Amino acid sequence: MIRRLVAGSKRIFGMYRPKRDLQIWPDDVYLVSFPKSGNTWTRFLIANLAHPNETVGFENIHRLVPDPFVTWKRDFDRMSRPRIIKSHECFDPRYPRVMYIVRDPRDVVISQYHYHRKCNKIEDGYPMEKFVGRFLAGQTCPHGSWGENVTTWLTSRHNDPRFLLLRYEDMVADPHREMTRVAKFLGVPADGDRVANAVERSAADRMRKLERAQADKSSLTKDSRKELSFVRAAKSGGWRNELPDQFAARIEAKWGHVMTFLGYELATRDAASVEPELAAFLPSGPR
Amino acid sequence: MVEAKRVLGLHSPGRNLAVFSDDTFLVSFPKSGNTWARFLIANLVRPEQKIDFSNVNGVIPGPEVTSNRALMRLPRPRVIKSHQYFDPRYPRVIYIARDPRDVVVSQYHFQRKRKLIGDDVPLATFVDRFIAGQTCYYGSWGEHVASWLATRHGQPGFLLLRYEDMVADTPRELAKVAAFLKVDATPARLARAVERSSADTMRQLEKSQAQQFTSTKNTRQDIAFVRAAKAGGWRESLPEACALQLEEAWGHWIQWLGYELLSAETARKLEVRAGQIPPVDVLVGPRT
Repeated sequence: MIRRLVAGSKRIFGMYRPKRDLQIWPDDVYLVSFPKSGNTWTRFLIANLAHPNETVGFENIHRLVPDPFVTWKRDFDRMSRPRIIKSHECFDPRYPRVMYIVRDPRDVVISQYHYHRKCNKIEDGYPMEKFVGRFLAGQTCPHGSWGENVTTWLTSRHNDPRFLLLRYEDMVADPHREMTRVAKFLGVPADGDRVANAVERSAADRMRKLERAQADKSSLTKDSRKELSFVRAAKSGGWRNELPDQFAARIEAKWGHVMTFLGYELATRDAASVEPELAAFLPSGPR
Repeated sequence: MVEAKRVLGLHSPGRNLAVFSDDTFLVSFPKSGNTWARFLIANLVRPEQKIDFSNVNGVIPGPEVTSNRALMRLPRPRVIKSHQYFDPRYPRVIYIARDPRDVVVSQYHFQRKRKLIGDDVPLATFVDRFIAGQTCYYGSWGEHVASWLATRHGQPGFLLLRYEDMVADTPRELAKVAAFLKVDATPARLARAVERSSADTMRQLEKSQAQQFTSTKNTRQDIAFVRAAKAGGWRESLPEACALQLEEAWGHWIQWLGYELLSAETARKLEVRAGQIPPVDVLVGPRT
């Protein structure tokens, strides 16, 4: 009962995480992805782009690009609009505008494996086979499987003017070009210097430095193993060296059609046999 | 007041419902036969109790209208009603699909009944809003269907029902549900559940219990909640232009679900697309 009263008082003062009850405004923009798909990097990029006069770091990122599962209700109420909100949720029709980041699931699984080690969710030496099995079944996080998360958004919003699809791999290859797309979507001035500054301030090296200095000040890194870094390789295609073929094959067997649609080359299957499957289910054009 | 209710567990959790691993969810877009299915299933699992509008929510509760406390106290395994778009936490799902050309007509009358729209709103205007997903909180019909079928169809723990099949052969479809719920159902038990949930029975109950059910409480009593209880009524009541609009928006899903397209042109367009690319059933597998 006392616990309930404390929780109740906290609610009255807005000291709770609104989660799915967040009041959504029509001018909100969501930054959505399955976990470990470059969401934090993109948050830094966007925060630097939208707030060129602030020093963006791990300690204030939850205020600049808030997360309804981390940021307090009170802070959401005080925020200036339009807000850019981070999310890992599957399709939610209430989100007015969405930037969706996808990443090759063969890289995602490795990134999540190391992140779970960092967070003490699995021990070192945890069998990759077991992790891949859980990853395919959607049991490694509360946001559905990679395939579920991606297909719910693509089948509902692809080709919609309210939806911007970003690939992590394209962002790594040419962050300037991709951030220019983001700036246009957000209606933020996209002049070369401003974008270049945002890219530079969000570079992996700089984020690694910030992480070292601020690890205890951010819920992203606070209660986890400090010898493993949150900002890891910051590369694409690492699975080719790190993921044994048999696991890549299992991922491709389950999600080959989605991967092919997204332009990820299959290593263990003939793409011609799976290519158009997803395309047939996408909305045909702008509504 | 809201916070006090929350402290006492009297708030309705909605999408924040705590999900248990042995829960089964009865999911559909609104106006797809969900209440009828609740009656059928509740009568099936509680043969000793006659299900009506006053007690159905106690057997198969809806998290939007039931208190968190009641939901947590319900005997397990629970069967829970839901109109939610895809939620990865739902472990087992019975999904009811219905032809959107009938759904839109049904929702139009239901919203008139609930005084959400006046009688002066033309059906055609409503269809525009329906396609844009602006007539309820659960996304558009196409988004809803896509979010569940593209993720779960063909997976264990997912049972797809069509409202039209339920109308055509209710005992057969209810037997599928019984098997899915692992309820031992003799033909007699199925027949009794079907009879206790018939449209006539439900209409009689609605007359005396309208104030005891959320969907009918404080609504216009001159429009019935249990309306036609038929499939294909759109052919008489939906203007052709509206049907074509719906087919243009969601033809691929309408066809995948086995509903005939009115528009030969839309069908041809989809066929051309299917000639260039494999048919639409590849992503979710053929409908079973």
